[in-house]
Amino acid sequence: MDFISENLLTILILFPVFGAAATLAHQLFWKQESQLKWVTLAFTIVNFLLSLILLVDKGTASANGFFFEKNIPWIRALNTNFHFGVDGLSLWLVILTTFIMPIAVLSTWHAVEKRPTAFYVFLLLLESAMIGVFVSLDLLVFYLFFEASLVPMFFLIGIWGGENRIYAAVKFFIFTALGSLLMLVAIIALYYAYANIPGGLAAGTFDYVVILHAMKLGTLKIAPATGTLLFLAFALAFAIKVPLFPFHTWLPDAHTEAPTAGSVILAAVLLKMGTYGLMRFNFTLFPEASRDFAPLFIVLAIIGIIYGALVAMVQPDIKRLVAYSSVAHMGFVILGMFSFTEWGMQGALYQMLNHGVSTGALFLLVGFLYERRHTRQISDFGGLANVMPIYATIFVITAMSSVGLPFLNGFVGEFLIMVGMWKSDALTVTATVNWNYVATMLAGTGVIFAAVYLLWMIQRVFFGKITNEKNRTLKDLSWREIGLIAPLVALMVFMGVYPKPFLATSESAIKAIQERVVHQAGGTVAAVENLGDADAKPLPPSER
Amino acid sequence: MIENNLLSIIIFAPLAGAVINWLIGGYLKDKPYSETFSGVVACGSIAISTIIAFMIAFGIGTSHAGVLLTGGPPVVLDQIWTWVDVGGFRADFALGMDRLSGIYALFVTFVGLLIHIFATGYMAGDKGFYRFFAYLNLFMFSMLTLVLADNFLLMFVGWEGVGLCSYLLIGYYIKRDEAREAAKKAFVMNRIGDWGVLMGIFLVFTLTGSIAFYDKTVDGTQVASALNIFAGMGTEAFSWGTIFAGGITSVAVLLFIGATGKSAQIPLFTWLPDAMAGPTPVSALIHAATMVTAGVYMVVRCNAIYQNAPTAMFIVAIIGAATAIFAATIGLAQNDIKKVLAYSTVSQLGYMFLACGVGAFVAAIFHVMTHAFFKALLFLGSGSVIHGMHHEQDMRRMGNLRKYMPVTFITMMMGWLAICGIPIWAGFFSKDEILYKTFAAPNLPEPWNYVLWIVGLVTAVLTATYMTRMMWMTFFGSERFHETLPDVSHDVAHGSVPPAVAGGLTLETHDDAHHDDDEEDHHHALPPNFKPHESPWTMTVPLIVLAVLSTVGGLLGVPYALSSLVGLKDVNIIEHTLEPVIAKVGKKDGHAAPASKPHAAAGGAGLNEMYAAVEAPKPGSAATELHDAHSPEEIQTERLLAGLSVLLALSGIGIGIALFGKTPLRRMPKILEQKWRIDELYNGYIVDPLTTLSREGLWKGFDLGFIDGIVNGIGYFVTEVGKGLRQVQVGFVRSYAAIILLGALVVLGYFIYYGLKLVG
Repeated sequence: MDFISENLLTILILFPVFGAAATLAHQLFWKQESQLKWVTLAFTIVNFLLSLILLVDKGTASANGFFFEKNIPWIRALNTNFHFGVDGLSLWLVILTTFIMPIAVLSTWHAVEKRPTAFYVFLLLLESAMIGVFVSLDLLVFYLFFEASLVPMFFLIGIWGGENRIYAAVKFFIFTALGSLLMLVAIIALYYAYANIPGGLAAGTFDYVVILHAMKLGTLKIAPATGTLLFLAFALAFAIKVPLFPFHTWLPDAHTEAPTAGSVILAAVLLKMGTYGLMRFNFTLFPEASRDFAPLFIVLAIIGIIYGALVAMVQPDIKRLVAYSSVAHMGFVILGMFSFTEWGMQGALYQMLNHGVSTGALFLLVGFLYERRHTRQISDFGGLANVMPIYATIFVITAMSSVGLPFLNGFVGEFLIMVGMWKSDALTVTATVNWNYVATMLAGTGVIFAAVYLLWMIQRVFFGKITNEKNRTLKDLSWREIGLIAPLVALMVFMGVYPKPFLATSESAIKAIQERVVHQAGGTVAAVENLGDADAKPLPPSER
Repeated sequence: MIENNLLSIIIFAPLAGAVINWLIGGYLKDKPYSETFSGVVACGSIAISTIIAFMIAFGIGTSHAGVLLTGGPPVVLDQIWTWVDVGGFRADFALGMDRLSGIYALFVTFVGLLIHIFATGYMAGDKGFYRFFAYLNLFMFSMLTLVLADNFLLMFVGWEGVGLCSYLLIGYYIKRDEAREAAKKAFVMNRIGDWGVLMGIFLVFTLTGSIAFYDKTVDGTQVASALNIFAGMGTEAFSWGTIFAGGITSVAVLLFIGATGKSAQIPLFTWLPDAMAGPTPVSALIHAATMVTAGVYMVVRCNAIYQNAPTAMFIVAIIGAATAIFAATIGLAQNDIKKVLAYSTVSQLGYMFLACGVGAFVAAIFHVMTHAFFKALLFLGSGSVIHGMHHEQDMRRMGNLRKYMPVTFITMMMGWLAICGIPIWAGFFSKDEILYKTFAAPNLPEPWNYVLWIVGLVTAVLTATYMTRMMWMTFFGSERFHETLPDVSHDVAHGSVPPAVAGGLTLETHDDAHHDDDEEDHHHALPPNFKPHESPWTMTVPLIVLAVLSTVGGLLGVPYALSSLVGLKDVNIIEHTLEPVIAKVGKKDGHAAPASKPHAAAGGAGLNEMYAAVEAPKPGSAATELHDAHSPEEIQTERLLAGLSVLLALSGIGIGIALFGKTPLRRMPKILEQKWRIDELYNGYIVDPLTTLSREGLWKGFDLGFIDGIVNGIGYFVTEVGKGLRQVQVGFVRSYAAIILLGALVVLGYFIYYGLKLVG
């Protein structure tokens, strides 16, 4: 037990890789394709159970504020190490990942016909990469995992996707890979910046904790102009991943073409890598630039919220509709983060989890329907509640969670985000207009539009009479499908009614990031002293 | 601070009922006793809530005195758990019953219970019996959460919850197109209002640092009441600018936006008439008695905010009065019995907001209560009629029903007398109180109090007229069960009814034409030997109880001016009871209150007088205070005005009989039948343009055209350049020669250019 606890993060990353190897071996030696899914399922479930140790056996944080920290030397010449650790920010994201994986595997129980071995191997490798992203504290290792997650997803879309899968896969790959190339340049720049500290060791490092520490002490100073460039290089990679308007057009294509498991993982976890990265790296490494660019991100987030909702409203394809709703929801996450308030940032993290659960569930549900009818056009349906009452019920509950109905999870996140934005001082306050209020009010309209597009879709798909004879014989959900969706629905209710355990776990980590981004004036010593002073006002621009 | 854990049972009993009905009721749905099971569970759970509400309100079997009784605690709290607590933003899942929520809880549970019992008869034989009652119980849970919440956020939970249940219940007949359309419309319009409530809550938190309603201590933490803080903030001047100033007036206006959505006021009222597509008990419970009055509840709950925001009060009064008269005109011309009642509800809600706007918060709640009795009665009566008529809702095919449905007839007459405002029936006292308070309103800049008063009087006449029309079309005159509608051909000739509908002889007005449908609940042409029948006891007993309440319920709030006529003093129970929940604004420091400067703001002078009146610190009990507030002249005026409104009500009835007694099918002005074409206005100028913009502009234009155009364009460019380069290497000597020549020329030109530059 001690061994597991000490090496937990490494195990969580490697276990799916072993799973992939086992899947391959199983295929090689037994040639029983039908058993592969059981092997994969077993590995993902065990990994989920292992990840729960993160909650129960947390112990005390290291001096850096991380739990389960482990630093395994890798390439000494580059001074890059497998430095892993979780804090309140990443902990829930790791658990979200391991939680979603078994569901994703089960979602494709009968749907994978071609090359099942490769499919399951990619799924497992993807899990490994995603966990790696959330726990890496070494920038180079982070980058490698970030890129590595692309490859399995690229193949999942490109091989097992819909009709237009090649276009979607290439678009997905090019958008996200292009963005992250600049991030690599920025990471290397940080490496040399550290190496060039006057009187330092003259050895660079990729270690995020070391770099951050040097910045906090003021030994590592980054010129504002350079800081801006580096911020933008990181931010571009993450903004595309989120995706932030106007970088969002890869998402509807990728979602629509991806197989159900791919869509679920994409929505639930992959998008969160972007928001996670912004909060973890951009905010702490470049607090000044983060503050400078906050208005831009807030404006883009609001455009994304309204734009995503309006475009979702007119989609003829259910899956595309859900994909556009993702753009709107992720806009809320960005909005909350850049409010730089505890409410907004806590809400943003909570909304990441909510979106994972709710939108993941929506994609699952759309997948169930697609398996039955092989179409996702809204116009092909109508009156489904008459033949699939259980399905309709669950769909409505999930939609309500996505709409942000109180006592379901979405509400808590959206509400905190809006409180945060309302009370923020990220935007200008003039004598007549408090732009933070205006921003919140505009974002709030997204709540109205969410009701419009989801209820309109539900009305056309589920209510009324059955208009298409093919739908008359549709079967309601099977026990496997109910079992799949039930944990998600249970979570929606639980997270909506009792958010305390989630928010309490993330509180200290979020506060640390918030204080860093709000109070840190470019790594001067004076500003470091401000860290503990929660009441300190951010410096006006002229004094930064 | 007094705690009573029974309080949570009031909300959790219906929730448990909903869950049991949904899971077990759904499982048993094909069993012969399933309806009995679902009915008992649903009614039983509400009965438990009712009993406990009465226990706490009147101190029966509790360790403390009753909340509604003199000497009772100001509020009884029940802390259940802390829901959200982030960075000083604290929202408990906690309930509180003070006198306002106590009165609300009493009539919501009691009227709710009656309607549940009625519904077991009305819905008998429906396939979704268990589902219906699960939704109905869930509604009761949400409504009681809304009312008993101890903070803004939990109130918002109930607020959204009733919206959801309303959505589910309006769309209950899922196969009917108008039902699903109406359900969505109701939810979306409510959501527009909810936006205002949300923003209002943010501003409340910003201004006071709290969202709680009551001062309390939880686990050693002091929680301050936001409302008390507002009460001590002082009154803002009357000025349109304050709406956008981010102060107390902004809070009031934002919250009122929510109220217009939930309580169907201008401009967000159009969902309520459409909501009649739901089963009739739903219309009675949700869309007449309880949910739609949530907006009034919120405004009265926040009366400390509104009293300090005269501009917002003015807006509330104007919107209320405008809605009252506007909806009444539409109600005159509807042929669907439920639509008449729906517009009547909108109109009556307008009265309640008018009352709030003139500072008569007690009168508003009084009218909420009497309205709950008589409108629930009228709706249930119409349900009984519809049931007896085999789901015919068109009054043009009714007539002379008093012969067949005597109980329904007599009970509905009570409701009719109540809503028309005939003394001693309940509606008279509450409506008259509102009209008098409007006339005497000190907070409205003159002559607005007279204008609004006249609007209120005209509305009263209209109300009496359209209600009389409804009663005569339904219960008097000739039996028209089998007649074809005389003016269908007329409509076809004018092209306003699709021929198919007219040909099918579905005798509806064209704008709510039912589509043919295979559902049992739905009307087809009545069989030739059809006779209407009286409803079973489960339906008539609630009617009788509500009829009694509609008759005597108004006696709870007889004003001094009228009770003193018969020698009674001090019988205005409702005023005494609610007096403590009406905040004394600015009382904290009397001399600094704006009331001492009556001419501080132009146009606001009248407003300040009200605060002088409200604020005037009078020694002695609340009762003496009330009496002192009435000078002999005022009492005289009040009596005169009461007499006037009785006269007007009688004349309204007279007009109704004169116009519709002989000719029940009299044509009404087209614009009224078409409801002033507001739906068309909204669709044409908001919904359609937004949809087109989204589809053609944002999606096809920007996403697919612009962004993907750039992305694909880059791809295309790279491919084309590659192709172009490939063209070069095709193996023809001639092209190679040409390229060599071209290259040589470029090199030559380069040298010439630089040579000249060097020379020059």
